[in-house]
Amino acid sequence: MAQKTPEIYSVELSGTEDVEKTDRGGGGGKEKYRGLKNKRLGLRKNHQKEALKKELGLEDHKLSTKELEKKYGTNIITGLSSTQAAELLARNGPNALTPPQETPEIIKFLKQMVGGFSILLWIGAILCWVAYAIQYFSDKSSSLDNVYLGVVLALVVIFTGIFAYYQEAKSTNIMASFSKMIPQQALVIRDSEKKTVPAEQLVVGDIVEIKGGDKIPADIRLLSAQGCKVDNSSLTGESEPQSRSCEFTHDSPLETKNIGFYSTTCLEGTATGLVINTGDHTIIGQIASLASGVGHEKTPIAIEIEHFVHIVGGVAVSIGILFFIIAVSMKYSVLNSIIFLIGIIVANVPEGLLATVTVTLSLTAKRMAKKNCLVKNLEAVETLGSTSIICSDKTGTLTQNRMTVAHLWFDNQIFVADTSEDHSNQVFDQSSGTWASLSKIITLCNRAEFRPGQESVPIMKKAVVGDASETALLKFSEVILGDVMEVRKRNRKVAEIPFNSTNKFQLSIHETDDPNDKRFLMVMKGAPERVLEKCSTIMVNGQEQPLDESMAEAFHTAYMELGGLGERVLGFCHLYLPADKFPETYSFDVDTMNFPTSGLCFVGLLSMIDPPRSTVPDAVTKCRSAGIKVIMVTGDHPITAKAIAKSVGIISANSETVEDVAQRLSVPVEQVNKGDAKAAVVTGMALKDMSPEQLDELLTSYPEIVFARTSPQQKLIIVEGCQRQDAVVAVTGDGVNDSPALKKADIGIAMGIAGSDAAKNAADMVLLDDNFASIVTGVEEGRLIFDNLKKTVAYTLTKNIAELCPFLIYIIAGLPLPIGTITILFIDLGTDIIPSVALAYEKAESDIMIRKPRHKKKDRLVNKPLAIYSYLHIGLMQALGAFVVYFTVYAQEGFRPSALINLRVEWEKDDVNDLEDSYGQEWTSYQRKYVEWMGYTAFFVGIMIQQIADLIIRKTRRNSIFQQGLFRNKVIWVGIASQIIIALILSYGLGSVPALNFTVLRPQYWFVAVPYAILIWVYDEVRKHFIRLYPGSWWDKNMYY
Amino acid sequence: MVIQKEKKSCGQVVEEWKEFVWNPRTHQFMGRTGTSWAFILLFYLVFYGFLTAMFTLTMWVMLQTVSDHTPKYQDRLATPGLMIRPKTENLDVIVNVSDTESWDQHVQKLNKFLEPYNDSIQAQKNDVCRPGRYYEQPDNGVLNYPKRACQFNRTQLGDCSGIGDPTHYGYSTGQPCVFIKMNRVINFYAGANQSMNVTCMGKRDEDAENLGSFVMFPANGNIDLMYFPYYGKKFHVNYTQPLVAVKFLNVTPNVEVNVECRINAANIATDDERDKFAGRVAFKLRINKT
Repeated sequence: MAQKTPEIYSVELSGTEDVEKTDRGGGGGKEKYRGLKNKRLGLRKNHQKEALKKELGLEDHKLSTKELEKKYGTNIITGLSSTQAAELLARNGPNALTPPQETPEIIKFLKQMVGGFSILLWIGAILCWVAYAIQYFSDKSSSLDNVYLGVVLALVVIFTGIFAYYQEAKSTNIMASFSKMIPQQALVIRDSEKKTVPAEQLVVGDIVEIKGGDKIPADIRLLSAQGCKVDNSSLTGESEPQSRSCEFTHDSPLETKNIGFYSTTCLEGTATGLVINTGDHTIIGQIASLASGVGHEKTPIAIEIEHFVHIVGGVAVSIGILFFIIAVSMKYSVLNSIIFLIGIIVANVPEGLLATVTVTLSLTAKRMAKKNCLVKNLEAVETLGSTSIICSDKTGTLTQNRMTVAHLWFDNQIFVADTSEDHSNQVFDQSSGTWASLSKIITLCNRAEFRPGQESVPIMKKAVVGDASETALLKFSEVILGDVMEVRKRNRKVAEIPFNSTNKFQLSIHETDDPNDKRFLMVMKGAPERVLEKCSTIMVNGQEQPLDESMAEAFHTAYMELGGLGERVLGFCHLYLPADKFPETYSFDVDTMNFPTSGLCFVGLLSMIDPPRSTVPDAVTKCRSAGIKVIMVTGDHPITAKAIAKSVGIISANSETVEDVAQRLSVPVEQVNKGDAKAAVVTGMALKDMSPEQLDELLTSYPEIVFARTSPQQKLIIVEGCQRQDAVVAVTGDGVNDSPALKKADIGIAMGIAGSDAAKNAADMVLLDDNFASIVTGVEEGRLIFDNLKKTVAYTLTKNIAELCPFLIYIIAGLPLPIGTITILFIDLGTDIIPSVALAYEKAESDIMIRKPRHKKKDRLVNKPLAIYSYLHIGLMQALGAFVVYFTVYAQEGFRPSALINLRVEWEKDDVNDLEDSYGQEWTSYQRKYVEWMGYTAFFVGIMIQQIADLIIRKTRRNSIFQQGLFRNKVIWVGIASQIIIALILSYGLGSVPALNFTVLRPQYWFVAVPYAILIWVYDEVRKHFIRLYPGSWWDKNMYY
Repeated sequence: MVIQKEKKSCGQVVEEWKEFVWNPRTHQFMGRTGTSWAFILLFYLVFYGFLTAMFTLTMWVMLQTVSDHTPKYQDRLATPGLMIRPKTENLDVIVNVSDTESWDQHVQKLNKFLEPYNDSIQAQKNDVCRPGRYYEQPDNGVLNYPKRACQFNRTQLGDCSGIGDPTHYGYSTGQPCVFIKMNRVINFYAGANQSMNVTCMGKRDEDAENLGSFVMFPANGNIDLMYFPYYGKKFHVNYTQPLVAVKFLNVTPNVEVNVECRINAANIATDDERDKFAGRVAFKLRINKT
């Protein structure tokens, strides 16, 4: 593992480059394999379904060599012939995983074009052109205004579409793909010759040779192996290296020793194997296709936005149609009615909102990336916030994914070792003579070594050559004793028997570093019971004592206790060989064992575990208080899983499982009242026999659950079970085995450092520091963004009423049009954009980490109070305020409000050039047009001024603005400044461009709406005040959004 | 969500709706209990009552800023527009000589329009002013003192006055009169103390040819300064707008003629690109003869 880490780091750093490389390189490759892929597409689908249903069906591990040769038509000595290989390659395709199917870019783009409000706007645009067509046929010289408006609407859709597409493309971090997992070269025997070929060209039946450090190029059945160990952690979640031999040891292909899996790493030793599966047919390939076969769920925020679009779209369409009917029945022409309809649609649709939401989400994504949460799918930003269940993998996520010394037993006492990431705080008693002996054994009886050239690296981060246990012991002794290599040098090794599975011990003989002591020291470590067998004495407080019954009993108690903690226990003993029998010149022979291997002195036990990360317990507690259930799902043993769960708080200190209760009460498990147990440890075997209903019951009745020994398919079942409870499920994982569950989850979280590429591919989010605690940060950000989006939506919806009322009044009362369609677009896509994004920077109103996660179906983004308050309260005030500005402009120009009623028809006639105002003056049509534009500008300014107040009140939903701090969020003020500046530019800068319908406005008109702005602020403060004063009251229920 | 809805049977939906409208268990009507509805109604009554009051108040305050007799701003009316009578659709004066009905409506409108100009009415209501100078009537300390107007007698329009005219302003003979008037603008001193007149011509060369000759009343299309300034309809009650009548004598029949009339006055620009009626008026004339 330690060797792997730096490699992955470098992958991370050059991630983008790699993506580009694969993209560029991929072109040719894709072309090459396209034919093959298509052919297999149909097959793949069926294949996926089967894989989902049944566990991996692989029989080859049970076959003998002869049978294998027959089955695959090969010869294990000479290998395949080149022609055979070429044929097979052509038939089965290359030994590579089919990359996950990407939605074509054009489809993604088109989706943006028709999603959300785009449809409504397209309708608006088309209506514009239809209106023009009608006009054109009745009068060839009709103005092109409607065509322009249609074009503008279409452009709005296209640009917001492009923007959203761009944002999404930018933040969809296409991580390293499966292809990166493919080993580059493989040593293969073909035509009786050893050849190096690209691993992609391997075919079933090939004989390959692997050695320590190689990635296994395909699924292979081992034919011979010498000390071969593989790291299967990415596949099964087991952190310990697995030894491999050519014997068939287990029915399950995952457990048997004679199968090596594609993409796992051979840590040491050498082996020869027969390729039995390639590419997508490998176990990894099957899991990968399982992952791609799992549909991606719609994210909660996408559902919310859809819900919101439905509401607003529904309002727009129904008001539009209602007023279309009203207009027609008021004897307006159909043409005019259509134009009204367009105005109503444009006024009702918050054109800028979806773009704003995208920006807001990507801002949060950036913020989260700084905190080491890399978000691949933008919408996932919020998903984490609504998460109610986290299904966490154990190895690598909750634990450090390295064996570490956790406990020691010597002097008849158990000592706890520090298992934190840097081991800095070893507090156990080191004064005993027994410890001196034990530490010597630990140091000497160990073959692991630091790789050279790492002087500046902290001990715990140094790369080590050796297996996990030895690495743990080496680092443990290095931390406590200092330079281990130096100690070993002083105690020269004269003979050694390495660990093997038959002996179950490791032994070495050393000269001592005491120049006066000419004896040899024999040190041994191994499985505790095997080591104890060889001992006749035991060391207590530095003194050898005979190993009597009571000491043996003490040993067993300690051994069971440590084993019960899920730890791997090793026993240590030593023997000083008498100098008379073994003089300095004695030649030890490890094969004949010309030295004693019994009657040794037992020194102590030492146990190791893959310890939890130090930040995890705290993070789990935080999740708990935030109402999030943390479930552990692991491929590891139940005992280990439970131990880790206990130590990180997934099973809290005082809760018991059914088995615990049974043990405590000394009754059979069946008799235990299930209500007494808060926690449950469920194994994959038990899960297999459960019906979905039973699983549901299990998930609802136990607050603390650990699933152990689960297969990738079962992880999927567990995630689905959680989702049936209406929970938003987050899944964390690092291994290939996690990828289907990561994909199925509402949000999949992969580990950035330890995570396999498959996991990162399937995930929506990557934790760059592998730290579970980062999830908590993510949850907090996610919840905040949901709250803030609510504010943004409320802010944006408010002005819709102020934009809509003019049309309704225009139709009903016949006033000259108060605000033009183009002007509305300038509010929606101009002045309002930056302020609504600024709300994303708002701080939380209260501790959002102590409330329950929102209920996916009850706590909506846009709820009834929000819509009503925005539309019928604030929105209406805005409309009134803006109308006052409008009436002011008209009255001061000569048209008093009373003169405006039903003036519309005459007002709009181009051939009426002597329209009389309230003072008897006469107006040409252009003069009136200009006043109308002044009216637009005035109405626009009126809305803008009140939107400033709206922006300020939206900072909080419950607290007073003064509690929240008026100036804490500086971006809000940037937003306000931007509103004012944009409005000034439109009025004074572009006032002379007739197409935009803006005019220069007298300075005083900018302040007419101020009383209403103040009213909005005061009213909202009153609202919040009563909400705080009477929580749960009628007011609270109806006014809190 | 959509899928779930589809799963529900039609009956269930109806049942749910029924329950929504009236839920007998919770005594809820449309999702609210009676008290809740009462609260809501009361709230909105008070709330909207308050908003109405607020709106009324602000409007009242705003109206205090505008005076009754002159508008606060006149920046948009720097150049008065010109307009024709009879007022026709798209300003197309189309006369089918033989079809009485085609021009009778114009004649009716003109009769009505010119009625206040009858000499008798003018003499009765308005002053005889001195031509060639503005008829200024300062308030002299009396606020909003009512203003007198100058006489513009119908007879000044000569052949176009329509008095005792069997040709109905020339419409029945294909020699129609078109009246040009200048838009009223309060306190506007048209002409800047110099005499001004209206001139007409064909828009393009062929229009000029087709237009033929015409006569104007008062002679030269003069507009006298004495009709200015205008003091607003409230205090300048009987103000009579000066007119210029144009009688087209021999328009080429059955051809559309674009005519443009403009005022020649020192302080009235007639070349505004955007406002096609600033100081001018363009109309189409078509005499259909068989």
